[in-house]
Amino acid sequence: MKKSNILVTLLTLMALLLAACTGEEEPTNGGAVQADQPKEKTEVVFWHAMSGKLEEVVDQLVADFNEQQDDINVKAVFQGTYEESITKFNTVAGTKDAPTIMQVFEVGTKYMMDSGKIEPVQKFIDAENYDTSKWEQNITNYYAVDGEQYSMPFNSSTPILMYNKDAFKEAGLDPENPPTTYEELEEAAKALTTGEQYGFSILNYGWFIEELIAAQGGLFVNEDNGRKGDATEAVFNGEEGQKVFQLISDMYEDGTFYNTGQNWDDIRAAFQSGKIAMYLDSSAGVRDIVEQSSFEVGAGYLPVPEAADREGVIIGGASLWMANGIEESQQQAAWEFMKYLTSPEIQAKWHVNTGYFAINTEAYEQQIVQSEWEKYPQLKVTVDQLGDTKTSLATQGALISVFPEARQKVVNAMESLYQGTDPIEALNQAAEETNEALKMANRKK
Amino acid sequence: MIAVKDQIRVRPKSKRRFSTLLEGLLYLLPSILLFAVFLFYPMFKTIYLSLFLTDAQGNTQTFVGLEHYIQLFQSTSFLSSLKATVLFVLYTVPAGVLLALGLALLANQKLKGIGFFRTIFSSTMGMSVAASSVIWLFIYNPTIGIANTIIKTFGMTEMQWLLNPDTALLSVALPTIWMNTGFSFLILLGGLHNIDSSLYESGKIAGVGDFYSLRKITLPLLSPTLLFIVTVSLINSFQTFGQIDILTKGGPMESTNVIVYSIFKDAFVNFNIGSASAQAVILFTFILAVTILQFKWGEKKVHYQ
Amino acid sequence: MTMKKKVILYTLLTVSAFLMFFPILYAFLISFMQGGEVLKGRIIPSDFSFTNYSAAMQKVPLLRYLFNSFVVASLIMAGQVIFCCLAAFSFTFIPFKGRNILFLIFISTMMIPWEATMVPNFQTIRSLGLTDTYFGLSVPFFAMAFGTFLLRQQFKTIPHEMYEATQVAGVSRFQFLWKVVLPVSKTTLVTLAIYSFLTAWNMYLWPLLVTNDEQMRTVQIGLKQMQSQEVSTEWGVVMAGAVLVILPTLILLFLGQKRLQEGLTRGAIK
Repeated sequence: MKKSNILVTLLTLMALLLAACTGEEEPTNGGAVQADQPKEKTEVVFWHAMSGKLEEVVDQLVADFNEQQDDINVKAVFQGTYEESITKFNTVAGTKDAPTIMQVFEVGTKYMMDSGKIEPVQKFIDAENYDTSKWEQNITNYYAVDGEQYSMPFNSSTPILMYNKDAFKEAGLDPENPPTTYEELEEAAKALTTGEQYGFSILNYGWFIEELIAAQGGLFVNEDNGRKGDATEAVFNGEEGQKVFQLISDMYEDGTFYNTGQNWDDIRAAFQSGKIAMYLDSSAGVRDIVEQSSFEVGAGYLPVPEAADREGVIIGGASLWMANGIEESQQQAAWEFMKYLTSPEIQAKWHVNTGYFAINTEAYEQQIVQSEWEKYPQLKVTVDQLGDTKTSLATQGALISVFPEARQKVVNAMESLYQGTDPIEALNQAAEETNEALKMANRKK
Repeated sequence: MIAVKDQIRVRPKSKRRFSTLLEGLLYLLPSILLFAVFLFYPMFKTIYLSLFLTDAQGNTQTFVGLEHYIQLFQSTSFLSSLKATVLFVLYTVPAGVLLALGLALLANQKLKGIGFFRTIFSSTMGMSVAASSVIWLFIYNPTIGIANTIIKTFGMTEMQWLLNPDTALLSVALPTIWMNTGFSFLILLGGLHNIDSSLYESGKIAGVGDFYSLRKITLPLLSPTLLFIVTVSLINSFQTFGQIDILTKGGPMESTNVIVYSIFKDAFVNFNIGSASAQAVILFTFILAVTILQFKWGEKKVHYQ
Repeated sequence: MTMKKKVILYTLLTVSAFLMFFPILYAFLISFMQGGEVLKGRIIPSDFSFTNYSAAMQKVPLLRYLFNSFVVASLIMAGQVIFCCLAAFSFTFIPFKGRNILFLIFISTMMIPWEATMVPNFQTIRSLGLTDTYFGLSVPFFAMAFGTFLLRQQFKTIPHEMYEATQVAGVSRFQFLWKVVLPVSKTTLVTLAIYSFLTAWNMYLWPLLVTNDEQMRTVQIGLKQMQSQEVSTEWGVVMAGAVLVILPTLILLFLGQKRLQEGLTRGAIK
């Protein structure tokens, strides 16, 4: 009895194995249906890293596009996080498995430009003299070099100061007037710090430091922020960067700054549970926070030192890249899809449903945006902050091949502040390590 | 003539030896084939890549010999990675094995409803690393997590578990132990089942205490299983990745940046394929050395029935 | 067993069971929470409705993913049990030359960091045209040093005299494996099968690399798909997904546990 039991189990296992080797055609079922259709649609494969609610919105956009015309079929495929999808893209770029459109995070921009696997979208803009005057320059500039548009901005966000209006009232501060300078911020934080509640926090994420530096007009790397040539040296440890680090260090020592780590959810939890009264968040996260908080939430511009001129913010998020080495008809189809995405109606939907910016400024005049803004005036603050941004090398953002690595170094420096390291020293160390990485990267050229 | 005779005498023996070899290899063939394609080939490729500068796509650019290795051993960041790795292994392996052993002994009693407890104890092996890590992220959350709630009820001040370089590694070790316990428990319980119960009965007749029979009967007979669990825990511990990625991302101040995580960052985020490969080779050599040592020491002490 | 001892044992069992199971229980509770409830630090959800579960099922084709994971995990389990049995048998009972060296080489494969193998293996699978197939998803994992090692440790506990006796009786080696070794090693085989199944069930990066077709994706990808970056994640939904994903594995464990116990009560060992 026992033995035969094992026999049966083993045989079943064997059978399963065999079945696997022969039963491969099953998944191709889906493809067969399409082949029957009389007209062959051009297939555009679109790889993205949008998960959760964002993926639903992307899928909806794609489905709408596929429905409203007959020639093109866009297939959106989730490929994991930005890092994972870029790794996969790396391996398949230039083969038949490569996608037509690839979504890449903003720090991967220089990397994609140098990869030789992409076609700048400028080519398509020029070919049909496409009117780009309605595009928000503060967004598109990030993905352009010398006036040549490399990729199409897709999900764009900027940092924003979020604060607890109820706590402001309790502390005797004006809930309609959030701090705009470091000095005001420090003061407000002091007033807001009470036993269980801390005044302010910044996520340990390099992006925020880049933004705070750019807001004062500071650059991140040399060679005009890496836009004139390959950057060879980090300059984020200049005056502007030092002010940022000094601020964090001072506030931390004062006990008005709370360290929340590297995780978005942790800092939001700290805010919603009343542990911190002000913090920096991404504009894309604003609506959820407003919706989920049990108190009134306000939004304000990024603070700058009193003495500094406010330059504005750099765009963050991701953009869409066109692959090269594929058939022209496919590229053209992908371009059609990209154009569709930038239309005011679609951008309005995108902005309302995700909280990301519309790259077409006409979108903001659409009714759905206006009524959404009435409900969530905080969203408008994010748009205004972007609109008020001065176009400059600082706010255009840096182009660095080793950007992810540079961010890790900056985060490291931030973390060392909480251990009592001197802010200037911490910053210099991060700059030095970034220089090493840059040197290595430039050797590979 | 003599030579021929010798040959005749020798041939069957060597033939038998040859056929034994052949048969042995035949059983191993499927595994060897797959290993060659999916493990050795990538490993050799890794060794090869570790000697080059590569572009972001991983194509070799310039031969640099041992430069990556030399640089690594001069880099403070890599040396602290090594330290974090060793510490992490020390935190997780002994505690994990002991905990699993304790639970297995507990669950090896013939009691009513013991099947329920056994399932509970082994349940952590059903949890994916990703799901478990997210849960622990909430547990550790400084503001809303239960870890601090518990600590506060005991009158201690709240802690920033994952944000303090002194406690971060320990805080990652704890969920790791938790996740690995399910499997170690199951294996050890299986090992306990295999021990002949008549041995205990004769022990009982001889009037031996529980602790004595644990030391003199259970542990020696369990030693092959224990050797196995220790080896596997060691290797797993050296290769821990998922929980670090979700809980700390190697921080704060690289205190949890174990080698595997550092390899991942260099290979998949920073695209320093050459350096990542060199680190992979070093890690491989390191674990190999530890395992060989452990075998040399362990196999002598292990009792096979 | 004395009453006192029983009480102590049950107390110990209950306490450790609670501690071990607490994180899973916590996940279960979160799975009923709505919106920002999680971030406010609640432990008990305000109400127990299944909206998160239905949302999780709608967000990603979870049933399809569960099916795929089940097929892939079963294949890997079958492959590993068969290949590891053969290899472990050879290492224990066939005394060929170079056996120990070969065993060491086998063991050394466990130490190869996965980061080193992932990308080259993806390229191999791709050049074989096996992307988006169950076979491509599972074949690299059919052979496993770990399983071979586990079974070897078990096979070694089989008295060698037994093997010699069958050799004298003229029974072939394969028959010895089939008729003697495997039945005796049932517990270990079940353990190995459970382990293989669960590890395969929990794979994430590999299925992500080798599949592009949503019809071929597995549950862990689905879980990741539910979590957002940058905008807030609906943790209730993610945890509902996680609970749905671990439920089959818990059932498997419970059943496997039962089989293990049956093996024990029958006195199948030796």
